[in-house]
Amino acid sequence: MKRYDMIIVGAGPAGLSAAVEAAKHGMCVAVFDENAKPGGQLFKQIHKFFGSKEHQAKVRGFRIGEALLKQANELGVEVLLNAVVTGIYADKEVIVRHNDTVRHVKGDTILVATGASENMIAFPGWTLPGVMGAGAAQTMINLHGVLPGKRVLMVGSGNVGLVVSYQLMQCGCELVGIVDVAKKIGGYGVHAAKIARCGVPFYMGHTIVRAEGTDHVTGVVIGEVDEAYQCISGTEKQLDVDTVCIAVGLSPMSQLLDMAGCQMQTVSAKGGTVPVCNADGETSVEGLYVAGDVSGIEEASSAMIEGRIAAISAARKLGYLGEAPASEEISKLQASLEALRQGMFAPGNRGKIIEQTEEGIRISNSLLTKGYLEEQEIERFPGFHTQKGIHPVIECTQNIPCNPCQDVCPRHCIMVGDNITALPVVDENSACSGCGLCVASCSGQAIFLVNDSYDQTHASVTIPYEFLPLPAVGTIGVALDRSGNPVCEAEVLSVKANPAFDKTNLLTMKVPKEMSQKARFFAVKSSEQKG
Amino acid sequence: MAKTADVIIIGSGIIGCATAYYLAKKGRTVIVLDQNDTVGNGGSARNGGGVRQSGRDKRELPLMMFGIKYLWQNLSEELGTDVEYMQKGNLRLGKTEEHLRILSRLAENARACGLDVSMVSGAEAREICPYLSDEVIGASWCPTDGHANPLTTTLGYYKNARRLGVQFYTGESVTALRKYQGKIRYVVTQNQVFEAQQVLVAAGYESREILKSVGIDIPMSKLLLETLVTEAQPPMFYQMLGTATADFYGHQSKHGSFVFGGSSGLEAVRRDFASDASTNLTASYISRAIIRYFPVLSDVKIVRTWAGWIDECVDGVPVLSDTPEVPGLVIACGFTGHGFGIGPAAGYVLAQLLAEETPSVDLSAFRYDRFRAKF
Amino acid sequence: MKEHENLRVKPIQWHSEPDDDLIICRCEEITKGEIRKAVCDGMVTIKEIRRYLRTGMGLCQGQTCGKLVKGIVAKELGVKPDDLEPATGRAPVRPVEMQVLGKESEE
Repeated sequence: MKRYDMIIVGAGPAGLSAAVEAAKHGMCVAVFDENAKPGGQLFKQIHKFFGSKEHQAKVRGFRIGEALLKQANELGVEVLLNAVVTGIYADKEVIVRHNDTVRHVKGDTILVATGASENMIAFPGWTLPGVMGAGAAQTMINLHGVLPGKRVLMVGSGNVGLVVSYQLMQCGCELVGIVDVAKKIGGYGVHAAKIARCGVPFYMGHTIVRAEGTDHVTGVVIGEVDEAYQCISGTEKQLDVDTVCIAVGLSPMSQLLDMAGCQMQTVSAKGGTVPVCNADGETSVEGLYVAGDVSGIEEASSAMIEGRIAAISAARKLGYLGEAPASEEISKLQASLEALRQGMFAPGNRGKIIEQTEEGIRISNSLLTKGYLEEQEIERFPGFHTQKGIHPVIECTQNIPCNPCQDVCPRHCIMVGDNITALPVVDENSACSGCGLCVASCSGQAIFLVNDSYDQTHASVTIPYEFLPLPAVGTIGVALDRSGNPVCEAEVLSVKANPAFDKTNLLTMKVPKEMSQKARFFAVKSSEQKG
Repeated sequence: MAKTADVIIIGSGIIGCATAYYLAKKGRTVIVLDQNDTVGNGGSARNGGGVRQSGRDKRELPLMMFGIKYLWQNLSEELGTDVEYMQKGNLRLGKTEEHLRILSRLAENARACGLDVSMVSGAEAREICPYLSDEVIGASWCPTDGHANPLTTTLGYYKNARRLGVQFYTGESVTALRKYQGKIRYVVTQNQVFEAQQVLVAAGYESREILKSVGIDIPMSKLLLETLVTEAQPPMFYQMLGTATADFYGHQSKHGSFVFGGSSGLEAVRRDFASDASTNLTASYISRAIIRYFPVLSDVKIVRTWAGWIDECVDGVPVLSDTPEVPGLVIACGFTGHGFGIGPAAGYVLAQLLAEETPSVDLSAFRYDRFRAKF
Repeated sequence: MKEHENLRVKPIQWHSEPDDDLIICRCEEITKGEIRKAVCDGMVTIKEIRRYLRTGMGLCQGQTCGKLVKGIVAKELGVKPDDLEPATGRAPVRPVEMQVLGKESEE
């Protein structure tokens, strides 16, 4: 029987990262993935990642996937696609279904990196065509180029719900609203803000009462919930939609590990049933490792590091890497992983109510309930300041591990510091050149350039803009405030699409001076926007 | 204070649950203990669902025939649970002359016990089941055999026993039986002590360790058998199927899925007798075996495989017996992989035995003290 | 699991709820009411529920309904969903045609 040093199940971020790391140390590796394309969820992540440089912050997910795949190929890693691992048996034997046969192979070590599946909620009409997981909708638009529908309701305000909502809008869907039974938005405020300023309403403390239609969704009814999450009678609202996306969390796909005899545990904070494992990701079955969502729901960034740690640990076990270099490398990676697990959204903070930032600043309640900051609230955050001439206004108000804005500014105007969850501070003594690199590098699209003295009566506001078609210079449209309400007429002064911006275009608009701290989005015609 | 009842039953499989139900109907108070958290998690939840008489040892036949005649027919109604019993006959298939000789011998034995079993040609077998491959040259045919759903049958007995007041304690691992003044009296678990005048041990292979505490042994071994189930198919055929060499068996359930089992031949030399994980080879083997008899099922998908321990008695038939040397103790184990179909009848007569009534079927062939050396 | 012991002994009274006809397990078309009824009938572990009703035993093997079923059972029993032992993972993780499963190779 064919024997590998490491068999990796799943060619997603964790699996591919592990494969590259293991191959680098000379291990003979096979990667099996049930899908027709490698990359797991990475190839549909068209947004920019958070983190610091070592976490590939500001790089779009699919580019990270492409780079990983290229590296794996260069290192001669065998990646077998359409290869379904159907079971793991005694002696770390794996049965993999490929084409019309089942193959038996063995690994001295195995890494299971099978990821997660989407949770569902049951409500009348949930089995109608048109109700789907948000991840499924994302696969349709970003991998297959198919729109799931025209008018979408998103259920769930976590990062998946927010990111997919934005991407559906980028594809031309109308987002009718975001519903969540929670009173507060679960995902990053910056993700919510970029949707809110397009005019999308957040229905927090609401539930989906039913989806209507006979053979597909033709509408939904939502309603406010009481303390027991039951709909309060009389609060029902009918919304005209053809698609309902469900983004209510993920569950680890850990069945293979259960089957392989790993000790399992069910932990809500990890999203469901996961194997018990040590810091290297090794389960109770010696040589059987896990990395990524299958070991507890997190982000692709942490999955990649976990994959590398598992590969190094396996390399040490099999003698491909000495004890000392392996331990040193693992410590470094664990520190990097730890850095990602800091801040308000850290796994340890799940379910906790956080009222203040690390800096002791009160969090915006409006951001958490409506998806946007009230204008007067911006001033208490260190990313806001006023000065003569062009300067950045950073509307980053939650502690998220992320610092590209600091790294890209050629004039060092922006400070995050060593603690990468700290809120960025705009240095009043440095001179902003208006290059816009910070605007384009901000994965949360929370940085704007404001020039209050564009002319006697006007200010210019530069916004990140990721919609097509790009408006032509000179277009007269309307400026929208943070809630998506039109506030004034705006003229497009420039649209920059520098390759360094990586498709986050910089749209600069001219607005009346008093609107410089209000105008945060541009719409071609007011009639196309709600509010 | 010890929890007490008239009878304590150890094991919540079909034997334990059925006995508890029939005892409760007689007005006895019963406690059922199981080491597992789930009721009926042993062979009762893992077998292929055969309710057959043909192919059985003749010592077992009268009890099995009693069950089919008096219990299975109305079991769904009696339990208010669809046990999916279907009496559509049993074909035991042969592909070679040698197979036919084995089948003829079995059929003859069965006929001697009054069971209607006949030999049919390949063509006749295909008339009964048109999906059979041409490789089949003959079969034995028993029209009164059938199959049922072991899961709902066991849980149906459990549900009704519970409704009649039987107390079930799961997650209670029995560590010892204790006598008091010469008679059985206490059942000691990891958590507590239970007390009764009568105890039934119906715990599969684990019965052996429990019985050791009162100095009794039943010679049996432990084998892991594997089973698989397909996605649901439109109704095709409902006969129970087997083969002369027992390389596979199975049926289509009322639900539409096919349940198939079989042995790879490597079961007895298993390395790991602690884990009930499926092996790397058996499901593939069963699939090949099925396709040879039923090519039409080639593209049907297997959705799940599982495995379960059988308690294989050294002489191939179970022990259903009281034990005069330990008054009050009754033993029911060693069912050897055919305990499901016979389960209702076994439960029925065990309840009679425990209620000190004369069992409806003579149980002398199932004595606990029948085992002897070769000579 | 102490709760289960007590619950097996102490019957839960059946009462209907307005959304009892909601389908929970799509593969096997099992409703919320059937699951709640099964709990009242004494099925107090996920394994018992699956075996009694067939929830999660269809093509997707509970990938979609697993957590939903757990939530309903836990609520009916008055325990936390995490306290219920999950269903056992079994091969094949994805359905496989018999002729494919029967065709083994080591290359």
